[in-house]
Amino acid sequence: MAAVPRQISRRRRILIENLTAYAFLFPAGLLIFLFGIFPVAFAFFVSLHRWRRFPDEYVGLANYERALGDFAYALFFYAAAAAIAAGGYLLWRLFKEARPRLWVVPPLLAGAANTAAILLFTRWFFTLLPVILNIPVRLRGQERVQGLFVSELFASFQFPEVVAAWFPALAVVLAAVMVSYGAVRLARRNETAGRHLWLATGAGLLLALGALALNLTLEAIGAAAEAAQADGSELPIWSQIVFISLGMAAVAAAYQVWTRAARRWGDRQLVIGLAAAALLLVGGYALVTEVPRLLAAADRNMMSGFSVTIMYAAGAVPFQLMIGLGLAYLLFQKIRGTTAFRMVFFLPYIMPFVATSMVFSLLFSHRQDSLANHLIGAFGIPPQKWLLEPIGIFQLIFGPQIPSWLAGPGLALVVIIIYTVWTYSGYATVVFLAGLGNISGELYEAARIDGASGWQIFRNITLPLLSPTTFFLMLVATIGTFQAFTQIWMMRTPAAGRAVDNMSIYIFERITDASPNYGYGSALAFVLFFVILILTVTQNRIAGRRVFYG
Amino acid sequence: MADAVRPLDAVRSSPRRVRPIPWRTVLTYGVLLLGAVVALGPFLWMLSASLMRSSEIAAGRLLPEQLQINNYPEAWRLANLQQFMWNSVRITAITVGGELLFCIPAAYAFARMHFFGRSVLFGIMLSTMMIPAIATLIPNYLTVVWFSRLSESICGEACKWLDNWPSLTIPFMASAFSIFLLRQFFAQIPQELWEAARIDGAGHLRFLWSVVLPLSRAPVMTVAMFGFIGSWNALMWPLLVVQSDTWRPIAYGLQKFTQADAPNELHLQMAAAVLMIVPMLILYFFTQRQFTEGITSTGLKG
Repeated sequence: MAAVPRQISRRRRILIENLTAYAFLFPAGLLIFLFGIFPVAFAFFVSLHRWRRFPDEYVGLANYERALGDFAYALFFYAAAAAIAAGGYLLWRLFKEARPRLWVVPPLLAGAANTAAILLFTRWFFTLLPVILNIPVRLRGQERVQGLFVSELFASFQFPEVVAAWFPALAVVLAAVMVSYGAVRLARRNETAGRHLWLATGAGLLLALGALALNLTLEAIGAAAEAAQADGSELPIWSQIVFISLGMAAVAAAYQVWTRAARRWGDRQLVIGLAAAALLLVGGYALVTEVPRLLAAADRNMMSGFSVTIMYAAGAVPFQLMIGLGLAYLLFQKIRGTTAFRMVFFLPYIMPFVATSMVFSLLFSHRQDSLANHLIGAFGIPPQKWLLEPIGIFQLIFGPQIPSWLAGPGLALVVIIIYTVWTYSGYATVVFLAGLGNISGELYEAARIDGASGWQIFRNITLPLLSPTTFFLMLVATIGTFQAFTQIWMMRTPAAGRAVDNMSIYIFERITDASPNYGYGSALAFVLFFVILILTVTQNRIAGRRVFYG
Repeated sequence: MADAVRPLDAVRSSPRRVRPIPWRTVLTYGVLLLGAVVALGPFLWMLSASLMRSSEIAAGRLLPEQLQINNYPEAWRLANLQQFMWNSVRITAITVGGELLFCIPAAYAFARMHFFGRSVLFGIMLSTMMIPAIATLIPNYLTVVWFSRLSESICGEACKWLDNWPSLTIPFMASAFSIFLLRQFFAQIPQELWEAARIDGAGHLRFLWSVVLPLSRAPVMTVAMFGFIGSWNALMWPLLVVQSDTWRPIAYGLQKFTQADAPNELHLQMAAAVLMIVPMLILYFFTQRQFTEGITSTGLKG
């Protein structure tokens, strides 16, 4: 190693540290950006176009309309509103934190510049993107010469629309870097300068994205209203949005009132509880009547895929968690062979899904003599067709007079739910076991001295202290079941029809069948992503409050 | 803790009287054993079925009448398992190697270096874990197709991405989860070690290589094991980017064998399935301690 100069100036050392860190981050960061972050924007871009193998014309929200009917407008409207609200919240935080007040100006300026720079740069990139993606189309019919693609790639940067987008982007990016640097330098003694810069940039981006989404929505609603007028019908979308907003507000208010009622006593609690129930009823009624009307023109297969996704999660997640918690609690009772049990329980989780789902499709085979039929035969139940049976489980149990919306998951889906519970319970056990290990033994000791029973200890010490683990597992399991693919792909049969096809399968089919439609597939994927996002946030808000962190 | 209690127990219980086994203990073991049977049962039946005749499986037998050892060589040959295994081994080795190479420095930077935008970049990276794979499937496929054409144009057929190892491995070489797991561990290494190394004239790279890595065998193993599981099980992405047997991974090969080539040879399917899980089983057996502890220490899964 070369001799280190004794006195490197502090600034130079910081510079070197920064550069080294970025060099360390670069390969992984590039890959995560390319295959983890950029695809989200890319998917949205694709979903706004007619896109079969190659980019075609811009169609606005048409792909979403095809998937969701009029509900697409409501969805985008709310997404835009949420983005604007979040941006506003960040701004408010910035204003609140800045001391003295005037310090809010430099980060605001820098945030605006950064937002403009990111937007203009993105615009340039997404102008370039279809041009370079269409290179194979432009080269069609030409002889395949090595390097032709590369020269066409260089030529793509010279396209007039690309060049036109490039120079403003470059100028604003440079300006933004300078302004940001200035803002941080100016506030050198202010430790929160960096944080304020990020806050302002985040706020700017959210506001801009919200405005863009709102614009997109209004555009689409305008076009749809015009088309409706030409038909002689009308599009009641605004009144519906207002109605749904009121419904959601009522439900949210009911929740608020309810949580407050829990802290009051006696009659008061009853009155408040009744008020909450009334609000809930009104809001629920608004949602239940309006949302289906908006969804009337939605893609039937998508709706079926969606309900399968929901039933799958609702069927699998609670059992996974309960079995996992039960086994972990038993394993924790100072018994012999904890390691061996843990190892065995964990086995289904790490073994290849392809192999284990093959086993399950034989165990639950439709043949008269399959092991599952033997098993239920022992209880006097007639043989079932299992994975070939699309009929809902409750209809099978209680007879065909059960209305179809109460039929529940098809028997085929129930088998897949059983499989999923089998695979994931061991994982839940291991994680719960770790959570139990984190609870201090003194608490149990103290409770035992106070004479608490086993159940009381479990109810009042174990469960509350375990709630972060439970919450985490609930989140992971829900997201996991929402994007399940392999096990369903392996166990689906033509006879079961769409009874087991969840959103992932439906999306995958849209892009692998004879005429792949990437635009529509991306729109579906984006809707699913949206639902997962909303679910995550809701679980965070609702369960997050009940979680007790030590 | 158990050891601390035991001597007391020994003092309390008189040596002559045999304590009756409490029913709670019996119940606990009973439930746990039931759980173990349910967890293991399908594996045992798979093993048993792989040694049956196809008709015996269809008849719902639990054990084979006669051990059909020949199922294994036949499945190996018919399902072309040699090729698929080799493919999966290659894919897994490249993926896991690349993952370690890229994720370890990134995790080190997040854990032990100070740079502009660290917390924001870390937050952005963590948030990518919330993005479902299906949402990025289509754009990533388009990206890979495009890269494939580009590299094919530059250096010919051999460097295309599609139907070749880059499309199967490169997108999975950096995982936010692995970086997170490693970072959690790296951040716990005492600062004094770094001070000492710096006085001895070591830079970050040297410190990472000769101090941090030797201390971090368990988390590195966990990350490698997760990478191994991920590529050994992958089905959706290979279905999209591979068209020929030269790079089809084992999951895809097995899926094709059961659904297209031999839908009625149930015994061969089971034999092939057993062969697919054997490498995983061996690896799990040797690493399970570090592995389950790696999961429980971070409580996360990618």
